[in-house]
Amino acid sequence: MANFNIDAKKDLTYDAIVVGSGISGGWAAKELCEKGLKTLVLERGPIVEHVVDYPTMNWDPWDMEYRGGLTPEEKKKHYKNIRSGWVGKDTEHFWADDEANPYTEEKPFLWLRGHQMGGKSLLWGKQTYRWSDLDFEANAKDGHGVDWPIRYKDIEPWYTYVEKFAGISGEALGLPQLPDSHFLPPMELNCVEKHVKERIEKNFEGRNMIIGRVAHLTQPHNGRGQCQNRNRCSRGCPYGAYFSSNAVTLPAANATGNLTIRPYSIVQEVIYDDAKGKATGVRIIDAETNEVIDYSSKIIFVNASALSTAHILMKSTSKRFENGLGNDSGELGHNLMDHTYRVGAIGKVDGFEDKYYKGRRPNGIYIPRYVNIDEKSKSDKFVRGFGFQGSGYRGGNPANIESFGADFKDSILKPGDWEFFITGFAECLPYHDNKISLNKDVLDKWGQPTLTIDAEFKENEKALNKQIQEDAVEMLETAGLKDVMGFDKEHPPGYGVHEMGTARMGRDPKTSVLNGFNQVHAAKNVFVTDGACMTSSSCVNPSLTYMALTARAADHAVSELKKFNI
Amino acid sequence: MDRRKALKKAGLLAGATIAMPSLFSLLQSCKNETRLDWQPEFFTEDEAKTISALIDTILPTTDTPGGLDVKADMFIDKVVAQTYDAEGQQNMRNAIAEFNASCKEKYGAVFPELSDADKTAVLKEAEASSPKFNPGVWGTTVGDQQPVGFYRSMKSMAIWAYFTSEEMGENVLSYDPIPGTYEPCKPLSEVGNRWSL
Repeated sequence: MANFNIDAKKDLTYDAIVVGSGISGGWAAKELCEKGLKTLVLERGPIVEHVVDYPTMNWDPWDMEYRGGLTPEEKKKHYKNIRSGWVGKDTEHFWADDEANPYTEEKPFLWLRGHQMGGKSLLWGKQTYRWSDLDFEANAKDGHGVDWPIRYKDIEPWYTYVEKFAGISGEALGLPQLPDSHFLPPMELNCVEKHVKERIEKNFEGRNMIIGRVAHLTQPHNGRGQCQNRNRCSRGCPYGAYFSSNAVTLPAANATGNLTIRPYSIVQEVIYDDAKGKATGVRIIDAETNEVIDYSSKIIFVNASALSTAHILMKSTSKRFENGLGNDSGELGHNLMDHTYRVGAIGKVDGFEDKYYKGRRPNGIYIPRYVNIDEKSKSDKFVRGFGFQGSGYRGGNPANIESFGADFKDSILKPGDWEFFITGFAECLPYHDNKISLNKDVLDKWGQPTLTIDAEFKENEKALNKQIQEDAVEMLETAGLKDVMGFDKEHPPGYGVHEMGTARMGRDPKTSVLNGFNQVHAAKNVFVTDGACMTSSSCVNPSLTYMALTARAADHAVSELKKFNI
Repeated sequence: MDRRKALKKAGLLAGATIAMPSLFSLLQSCKNETRLDWQPEFFTEDEAKTISALIDTILPTTDTPGGLDVKADMFIDKVVAQTYDAEGQQNMRNAIAEFNASCKEKYGAVFPELSDADKTAVLKEAEASSPKFNPGVWGTTVGDQQPVGFYRSMKSMAIWAYFTSEEMGENVLSYDPIPGTYEPCKPLSEVGNRWSL
């Protein structure tokens, strides 16, 4: 791959500026560059070039001094991130430094960030699902939040468009609540998963269990290699087999010759010109030199991730927007949502002791939403719904076996019990009082006000979680599993890493920040297409929807530019 | 059922790398000396002997390497020295002292100096009285986890050190860094030991 142009010194003027290079920023860069716009991508962290900058991608446990363990200094650097359970020596360089990037938790909230080129597209779960009109109509139907300004038909062609380029593997089911994508061949269920699937589908009408739909290539696609089943995705994939900005969209943007990417760029604000009545550029602080630089452009995509995007808009004040760019409604920073996380059930499966598998499939099973999808499935305990992810594998903790010595040691060389778990992801309602705000008392090392996060799951989410656990236990017990244990880690928001809603789309500028094409209502050359734009949270993973909304918004932006409308 | 029969039944003697003791483990056969042949970074000599004796009792050398053959004790010492904070280190020190004090009280000597029969008795008791680890989902345990105590956490650490050693990972367990395909339902007999990765 060609090197990236990081020389943003000689040229301070671009057609477009994209703030952030994660999943949505990468798509914005690709689409705008391919449409001929000279585009500057501003990235807070370092360049991470595909393959070249994946230092741990081939490490075995014994290649790490402490086999994945972190030193006290590393733990301190990640003292918040570490609560997720995801941070080890193999990936710690891709998680933001909590000490250098503080935030204040009014109520417990885990804010996981990836401050590098590619952002969290290097770390995401790759589960990739279309949303449906069940989601886009939800707010309008039950009155929570505001109505989405779009419906499934508006975004459907864009789902197809991004899926064809990204490469999504999965199985078509024809379910209205979970529309099928344009699929590459599905990954396979193992024998225990097939066994549980049969039992669940036989005993529970309307419930399906499928292999996860994922942004992993199951065959070569657009010059990228297929998944080798190493399951070392979060270290960066040398085959480019999963979708990341680094492997997919940014190289495509770069190939046009129109891309400049500027690393170590902390965005101070989007510059709004009161006289011109529009945004004219972006002011950054060089993270290394503290130099302040203004870049100008015709259009600006703010794709810094849901909370950071709202943070930047809040810091972008002017006479016209005293409370933050585009914040006429007072909704900027509000309606923060995430999915509930780690609530479900786990059990053991007998009868497959002579079966094993080869390969570390980076995917599991999915049980699509089955409650509140029609009159018959309506719950009187909560609105909205949930889906399950999970998997079957040979696990068992050998340290739990009540034995030791020669026979014990030799017995644990063979694989342990088959275990199977499912864990639910519940939709979170958009509550105005789940919010972030600027904290001018705590400044970061660049003198920037930080964020205070004040959000919690409320009664509806708790009722959904209760149902998730009950249903999970019932399904696993009915499927014949033994030692079934229900669980609810009662995680506060943030653990699902699906932050959404802090600059929501809507029909009415009085109650929303963005219009139906992700333009700031009152500053139409500013676009937001990351999680901040989401009007509701659905119960399915949101990244594919960010991709589709971004491609759609970029298309609209260029069309409006050509018409001199923005 | 005796162990070799059990192994045969599980198909574990199929692969040469599994049945053959490594040269390394043969060289390490003399391991019951009372003096340490390595310099701990964190543990005192007596603490190190306790950890080594525990590992050797839980994961002894058979025709496959034992915990000491892959230097699990030295690795645990390094992990405690370099990745534990001061409080964690002190807790470890206290737990070893408490464990040995209990051995002394019941059997008249610290753990590494007990007879094999007494070591077995101590660990049988510890097995019976130690809570177990809850299952894990995506990197964290779920449910209401009781503190498992010194014995089970050290056992867990020893197994981790053992399984993640290069010798075990590449030569004893089934090793396949780049599987390529996913075979979802493969006879265990065609794989042999558990996957190391």
